[in-house]
Amino acid sequence: MIRRTAIGLLAGTSLLASQAWAHDPVFGLGPHTLFKGGYEIHVEYDREEAGSETENEAAVALRYGLTGDWVIGAELPYKRISDETESSSGVGDLTLTSKYRFWRRDTLALQESAAVLLGVDLSNGDETKDPALGNGATDWIAGLTYGYEGRKWYRWAAIRHRFNGENDQGLRAGDKTLLDLVVGIRLEPTPYTAPDTVWMLELNGEHSQRAELNGAGLANSGGTEWFVSPGLMWTKRNFAVKTGIQIPVASDLNGSQFDSDYRFKLELEWHL
Amino acid sequence: MKKSLIAIALALLWSTAWSAPREYQVHVDGLACPFCAYGIEKSFSKQAGVKEVETDIQAGLVRVVMEEDASLSEEQARKAVKAAGFSLRSFNETVEGN
Repeated sequence: MIRRTAIGLLAGTSLLASQAWAHDPVFGLGPHTLFKGGYEIHVEYDREEAGSETENEAAVALRYGLTGDWVIGAELPYKRISDETESSSGVGDLTLTSKYRFWRRDTLALQESAAVLLGVDLSNGDETKDPALGNGATDWIAGLTYGYEGRKWYRWAAIRHRFNGENDQGLRAGDKTLLDLVVGIRLEPTPYTAPDTVWMLELNGEHSQRAELNGAGLANSGGTEWFVSPGLMWTKRNFAVKTGIQIPVASDLNGSQFDSDYRFKLELEWHL
Repeated sequence: MKKSLIAIALALLWSTAWSAPREYQVHVDGLACPFCAYGIEKSFSKQAGVKEVETDIQAGLVRVVMEEDASLSEEQARKAVKAAGFSLRSFNETVEGN
């Protein structure tokens, strides 16, 4: 049961969703925000496989630009998780996020900027299901990101940390730290209304501390994984399609855990 | 007297017919991607009296055409650019209204 709950915890604390914004990397975090008074409608599908465990997630998010440098948003996922014997599906944890771009250097056809991200992952996902759809605790997310956006080249760097809470059963998922280094290239600069494609290559690192049950560390939890993630972003005026795949290149997980096989993401986004 | 009134009316009609709408060139820094440029278009379109907005990303140039008798101040343009998340470099009126 504890093992299953731990699986649920991992699923419930995924950072795959809720971090993607506009012209940012597919898996990493970038400093992009939304124009003042603008709305962003975001629909996303994620699939993750690790050994006999599979997680499918569809999520819808709505974001609003408070100013040209400050955006707030909410994301609600619907999950289907299965392992070798059980499967469950339903609504996952609602995530509320806010990103503020605190530094910007604008020159001709080039923008460099940095932003902070704050988020809270609520505990509405059903943690009693097997596998669990949430971790039953309120978790906090903080992030810092830098981005260089030119007509040809893109560069991003980001660090995020997830502070996980303890649920009513005394179970606490280990805190998680994510590092992202991303390069992007636009092979053919296009005018405003023409379709535009940016190719991206990401290096994503994830380190999780051990989960704890009533203060005692769980052996089969936590560890480090690194991914190389090719992806692309295709846009036309106010519509964007982003997709990418995370391929594991290094893994050092504690105890007996399945290494990640791959993670896939597809996003559709409208700015209104 | 009647002829004078007709002449004035014709002159007014002529003047109205040939009144060119004001047009501005707004140079914007930080504009790099087409997806982001949508914010500029939306931001200027919200300004009162704006009829048309054209964006040239490579040149960092936004051309704003106004409705007849409407005008745009540099301060309005600066606010619109800031609200879109970019920086105003320069502002020029290229076609003056009559």
